[in-house]
Amino acid sequence: MGGSEGIVAFDITKKFRAAAGTLELGELVKDDFFSLFESVGALEIMDPKMDSGCLAPGESLDEDYDVTRPLSPGEVIGIIDQLFCLEMAWYQGYPLSQTLLTNVYIDRMLEPEPLILQDADFIRERIAKEQRDPMHVVLRAYCLGLVKCCWYINDRIKFEHYYEEEDFVTNTYHRSLLDSFDLNDINDEIMAARRLVHSIRHRIGNELAQALGFRLELRTAFLRAIELSVMRSNPESLSLPWTQMKAVWEMIYQSRHLGQPVPEAFSTKIQRRLASTMPPRPIVKLSTEETYKHFKKLFVDGINVLNVLNYHDSQSLLVLTYHQNFVMTFQSQKPQPLVYIRTLLQSFLFKDMIILGKLSIRHVLDDDLSLVVLPASKFLDPANDLVEAPHHPRYALAHQMELFRQRAAQSYLDIFRAFCQNRCRIRRTLCHSIQDWETVQVDAEEIDQLLRLQIDEKPHVYPPTGDEDTSGVEPTYSLPLSSWAYLYKLRLMEWIVQLGFELDIYAPDELAGMYWYLSDLARHRARLVDRISYFTKLRAAEEKGGATAAQEAAFIRSKHYLYQASFDAAITWEMADAMSNMYAALGRLGLIVPPPRPYSTDELRYDVRMKPFGTIGLPELPSWEVYRASTDRAQVETEKLLEDARLSLEQAQRGLEVVARMSEKESFSVGCYERWLGGVTGQIRAVEKAGVVVEVVMRKLEEKGEGTKGKELGLKVGIGKAAEGEHEWWVVPTVEEIDQRA
Amino acid sequence: MEQTSHHDRLPRELKYIQYEHRLETQYLPAIRALISKDLSEPYSIYVYRYFLYQWGHLCYLAIDPNDSSLVGVIICKLEAHASHSPPTLRGYIAMLAVQSTYRGHGVATTLVKMAIDSMKARNADEVVLETEETNIPAMRLYERLGFLRSKKLHRYYLNGNSAYRLVLLLKPVDPDSAADLALDEADIYR
Repeated sequence: MGGSEGIVAFDITKKFRAAAGTLELGELVKDDFFSLFESVGALEIMDPKMDSGCLAPGESLDEDYDVTRPLSPGEVIGIIDQLFCLEMAWYQGYPLSQTLLTNVYIDRMLEPEPLILQDADFIRERIAKEQRDPMHVVLRAYCLGLVKCCWYINDRIKFEHYYEEEDFVTNTYHRSLLDSFDLNDINDEIMAARRLVHSIRHRIGNELAQALGFRLELRTAFLRAIELSVMRSNPESLSLPWTQMKAVWEMIYQSRHLGQPVPEAFSTKIQRRLASTMPPRPIVKLSTEETYKHFKKLFVDGINVLNVLNYHDSQSLLVLTYHQNFVMTFQSQKPQPLVYIRTLLQSFLFKDMIILGKLSIRHVLDDDLSLVVLPASKFLDPANDLVEAPHHPRYALAHQMELFRQRAAQSYLDIFRAFCQNRCRIRRTLCHSIQDWETVQVDAEEIDQLLRLQIDEKPHVYPPTGDEDTSGVEPTYSLPLSSWAYLYKLRLMEWIVQLGFELDIYAPDELAGMYWYLSDLARHRARLVDRISYFTKLRAAEEKGGATAAQEAAFIRSKHYLYQASFDAAITWEMADAMSNMYAALGRLGLIVPPPRPYSTDELRYDVRMKPFGTIGLPELPSWEVYRASTDRAQVETEKLLEDARLSLEQAQRGLEVVARMSEKESFSVGCYERWLGGVTGQIRAVEKAGVVVEVVMRKLEEKGEGTKGKELGLKVGIGKAAEGEHEWWVVPTVEEIDQRA
Repeated sequence: MEQTSHHDRLPRELKYIQYEHRLETQYLPAIRALISKDLSEPYSIYVYRYFLYQWGHLCYLAIDPNDSSLVGVIICKLEAHASHSPPTLRGYIAMLAVQSTYRGHGVATTLVKMAIDSMKARNADEVVLETEETNIPAMRLYERLGFLRSKKLHRYYLNGNSAYRLVLLLKPVDPDSAADLALDEADIYR
């Protein structure tokens, strides 16, 4: 032991043995830094489930598959089709070690690491081209393309925000996925293989030749799609390879019967040679049908995600409000798009802090502010920036607005970033975001005060009393920036509750309360939108006459937006009221029975449930007493609860039918109209179903008379998974008539 | 274990004991075997010792008095949860297993109750755990006792299944304790 300065080594074996000898078996000596994490990471030698080198009697360390043996075209198709299944499993979040790196051909191609492309081959001996088994050439070219695809995808995902292991495993176990090889060279190999297949089509038969050709073509297109995706313009040309893949994929699926499986070309033993302490784990086996379905969805999503780039009219300045709809509807698809697609969405939106490849964050924020609270406002006038005199009000406006943008930009973008994550993460992330928006709102209010001094804003009595005499009523200001922040915060809070329904977080007896809370939030939002509309109207009236055509248009656009927003809030609260009343009635009637819960109280559970909202000052979390009284409505008869539910459902339905008739533009869903409309019609169906439930319960209650409960009513209520319902945010119970004598 | 012979046994015949270090030789192998049965990835001996050595008093065993064999086990920990301000004393149910032939007799419920009682006696603020979303019996068991699902954890387990975080609050939340809303970062059981 030399070299380490100042360190003197001596043998402690004896001392250690003596000290250890005083311990009992199982006694643990640990310092404070030995955490659960370390204990989980430890492994036991010679336990086959933990020790990667531990072999069963007679087991060989490595697989003994011969990669040089000749392959039939059917076998190559079989291997490729098996690789599709593994590739998809990797996209879904399983590690390479249990998917693509179980393939012997790929393993030999990558290990030892090839330094020149010629060596990126499962047969390393140099064989003259014309002497090679053409099927080897085809399989090699395919694998080259596949591995290079994986490298690009892995690299892209790592670059964006995702959760390792949860969404995706980027670990390559020190295998290089052809990192350093040029894409063009690999493309050339694939093209050469395609030509080769074409040239031997008479020998192997047209059908097999075509089947091989489709598979190679898919790889070419996939690489092309990936290559193009770094550009963020011209969505039409970007979508070409995706469209091509979608078409070729059908041909591949239809020719799957030509494949001859070669299971021995896949082995878990390869994992022993990977840089991992994990003992071999089983190969993840997706079925051909699942694989087909998921690839098909991948290609469709790949085409659709490009639509986010597809705004034709940069004059329309609706960018993120529209993209909000796009991202929301895109991400609420079931199943959710794969992480790679979500990564593309993120990079299209945010890469290099340039939104959609064209717009600055300022541009986007100002668009949003203009739409929601500041149409045609001098606050947003770019000319303010040109004023150099520090005492000029416009100079101050520019300065204050810039402060606000700096304050809000990150929080604003974080919302969109959050919505690119998996559904569970979206909810968890939003729980943190609302804390952030709480402070954005406070800071915005401060800036609002400074801005109104600059323009000498006159206060108004709000809500308007209608009286001439407004003495004794404190007039208020428009407070645009804090109103804007508050609107976002309220929407985030609603989303958290709604995602709670979607993810089946709430117990059946919590539904009445959570829908009441959702309704409460939506009413806050509606009131806020009213307030914003009021002050916008005032300003529009003041500026009437002096306004340019563009300013007029901005006011009209904002008016549309606010109209749509207040409509949306109203539908939400009506539907939520209906659900709350319905579930309250079901609880009262003993059709939903809470569990005994000996260790808990209603109030403690309220604390747990409302924890994300507990620190929010505005709107303040209702006290437990208010929550309970509003949910139970103890003074209201059950018939009345059901009647109220029925009326709210009618209102909601009327509202939704109006919404469903809105155009792409009116609904701010250009580029995602169909998905958006699907959501609306899903809600309409949920309303209808809830209507049936309410009706059945009302009828039974009438038949059996007041006071009849539970089984005596002859009804059985079930609550399914939200994902299986008509709309994931509206959990409608099933109700079944039963023979109560049974 | 024969499927039928144990079936009619009432759980009240079982003996419930708190784990102690002296029981290691007798019961640790059985505990490991019982828990590993439902796991694709076994825990190393160190994981068991990590819990049992520090929180043996929060581990309970259900024993068949006839042959002293192990029927069920619960393993927990209880420590200050740091990301809270002020920190909370958080109980965590790490492992729970019952021989399949004894299931449906409330053995698991009894074990969980004993563990919670013990944590309560030690002033715990809350008890948390994760369970696979497909494990309906486990969720029902905990929810009957008063646990709520606080969040869903995407693809939490190695088999690709998601989990729910379940929470049982034993004491009111300090309203000023700020922003660890999330009863946060999942402990690292996988």
